[in-house]
Amino acid sequence: MKKIKGVRISPGIVCGPIYYFEKGRLNVPRHFIRAEDFDSELQRFKQAIQASVNELKQVRDLVLDHLDEEHARIIDAQLIAVQDEEMIKAVENLMHQERKNVTWAYYEVMNEYEALLLKTYSQFFKERTADLKDIKKRVLHHMVGEEETILPDINKPSIIVAEKISPGDLIHIEHNLALGLITWEGGFDSHAGILARAFRIPYISNVDLIEELVSYSEIILDADNEEILLDISGSLKQEYLTRITEFQKLRKRIISAKVANSTRDKVPYHIYLNVGFVDEVEAIDPQLIQGIGLFRTEFLCIEQNTIPDEEVQFQAYRAVLKKMGHLPVIFRVFDFGRDKLLAMLDLEVIQEDHVFDEWGGIGFLLENPDILKAQLRALLRASIHGNVKIMLPLVMFTDEVRQTIELLHEVQRELQEQGIPFRKGIELGAMIETSSILEQLDGLADLVDFFSIGTNDLALYLIGSGRTVDLTRNYYHPKIFNAINLIVSAAKRANVPVTVCGEMASDPYALIGLTAMGIRSVSISTSALAEISKEISALDTKMLENLADLILSADSAATIYSLLVQFHQDCLG
Amino acid sequence: MISREISILNKYGLHTRPATAFVTEASRFKSEIFLEYKGVRVNAKSILGLLVLAVEPGATLTLLADGPDEEEAIEALAILTRNKFNLE
Repeated sequence: MKKIKGVRISPGIVCGPIYYFEKGRLNVPRHFIRAEDFDSELQRFKQAIQASVNELKQVRDLVLDHLDEEHARIIDAQLIAVQDEEMIKAVENLMHQERKNVTWAYYEVMNEYEALLLKTYSQFFKERTADLKDIKKRVLHHMVGEEETILPDINKPSIIVAEKISPGDLIHIEHNLALGLITWEGGFDSHAGILARAFRIPYISNVDLIEELVSYSEIILDADNEEILLDISGSLKQEYLTRITEFQKLRKRIISAKVANSTRDKVPYHIYLNVGFVDEVEAIDPQLIQGIGLFRTEFLCIEQNTIPDEEVQFQAYRAVLKKMGHLPVIFRVFDFGRDKLLAMLDLEVIQEDHVFDEWGGIGFLLENPDILKAQLRALLRASIHGNVKIMLPLVMFTDEVRQTIELLHEVQRELQEQGIPFRKGIELGAMIETSSILEQLDGLADLVDFFSIGTNDLALYLIGSGRTVDLTRNYYHPKIFNAINLIVSAAKRANVPVTVCGEMASDPYALIGLTAMGIRSVSISTSALAEISKEISALDTKMLENLADLILSADSAATIYSLLVQFHQDCLG
Repeated sequence: MISREISILNKYGLHTRPATAFVTEASRFKSEIFLEYKGVRVNAKSILGLLVLAVEPGATLTLLADGPDEEEAIEALAILTRNKFNLE
């Protein structure tokens, strides 16, 4: 038997064959066509080009508005190249002469151009193949369509092995085909990581022997113990298979009992769910939970590879609300961080460009009021089907909230004039996750109905670090706990409820710290639900009284960590 | 069919941005327009063709046009090239 170690991103254990996912490899349907199919094939091609042109125009507008002319020109070049007349002629010729179907012909023609560029002597021209790859992927995506998703091509349930995986890639894999995930790059807070936990797919990263795995026909991925097992047989294998069966049972039902609604000493406590997909909601029994504390609407965009229009959004929001009944659902309006936007645009050429760092949050939406207005309309229209709350991401200034409220009023007036029903008095909340808003909490509390602390981004702002880097240690940083203390105090003064909805709340030790600081409401991913619910029902808040002072006077993350681990052992262990 | 020699004066040759400008301008004309470089002739309205030529800075190319507006096309494209595609 052989073991390979990694870092746990999403818990669980599975056994299965490997699917090696090579980034950028396309699955292109290839077959010969009859003469009478020629026109319809060509028609399909022209439509795919038109769809790509429309998408690129949308991308171009966004880039021009938020970046500069320079980057917009990259898109201009793609816009011209995607409808290149010589390329189209070459595709038609190949279809005529060799009877190849249109995806096959297009794929070959584009590859030929790539090969020619690679043959040139200049590094500069060689690098243009990145543009060609982007274009090719985009057009093929439109031709191959939904049912035969081009990326990646998995036909049986497998453990996916890749250098790295984007949320876009993961979404395009049918949920039941991804048994587990193994990557070299990728952290706990990466969006692929959040997704894996949402769908309860075991995932470990930082595995540096990726190539070696490929030669095995079957492996065991034990994410609980952060290892991969190879060449395993006999009674040992049997032990693992028993655990795997257990996990599969657990995976099907997220939670079998009602989520705790108070601590052991009967202090009321709220545990909400973080959700990103309409599909995810389907598996939840609303009888057992208290509501959705964070619905990440931008995942709709990643799913569709574009910003969905008002109607598509309305359908999605309504489906979630209908399923949840009277339970509150907090929809966070689109939060396009650099990583999410890039995953959506799927543009490798600007992937490495750091100017995108500043994108995201409510600031971005206010600069694109059309996007925000369409979303608010969709949410208001859906509001009559359930208990909607709206949350603003990455608030930096109170004025952003003021502007959003104005826009919301405008949308309400419009709906009223058009005779479209909506619920009045919908609660509006702000995510506290930037350092600048920490200084304006009282002013903010006057404007909103609730606070939600986004610990992932807050850690980035206060401590700094890339999102794909493991942030676990940062949860225990004194700066984080000081900020949380500040937020809880401001919320108390203004009598505004506050929820922690970052990954920090799913950490059993950090949760004790949060509760000691006065947090009585958390929103967590489904994979952490059972464990956190159990912990909260075992907590006694009276025993936490001295802990807050100890945490606030600690001078290092290590001190706080050992304090919390000690408490966990003494009082819960 | 008429033709004219043109020189690429841009710092990096006929790369993406000048090629984009060139193709956009060429596409305004009805005539067929070609560029010839190192014995290879490509459709000047095809950005992929232009990129594949990988025209180096300082290179001289032959611009050819055939059609109702061939004179204007050659003139406009020669001026655009001389002005470094209005980019530098």
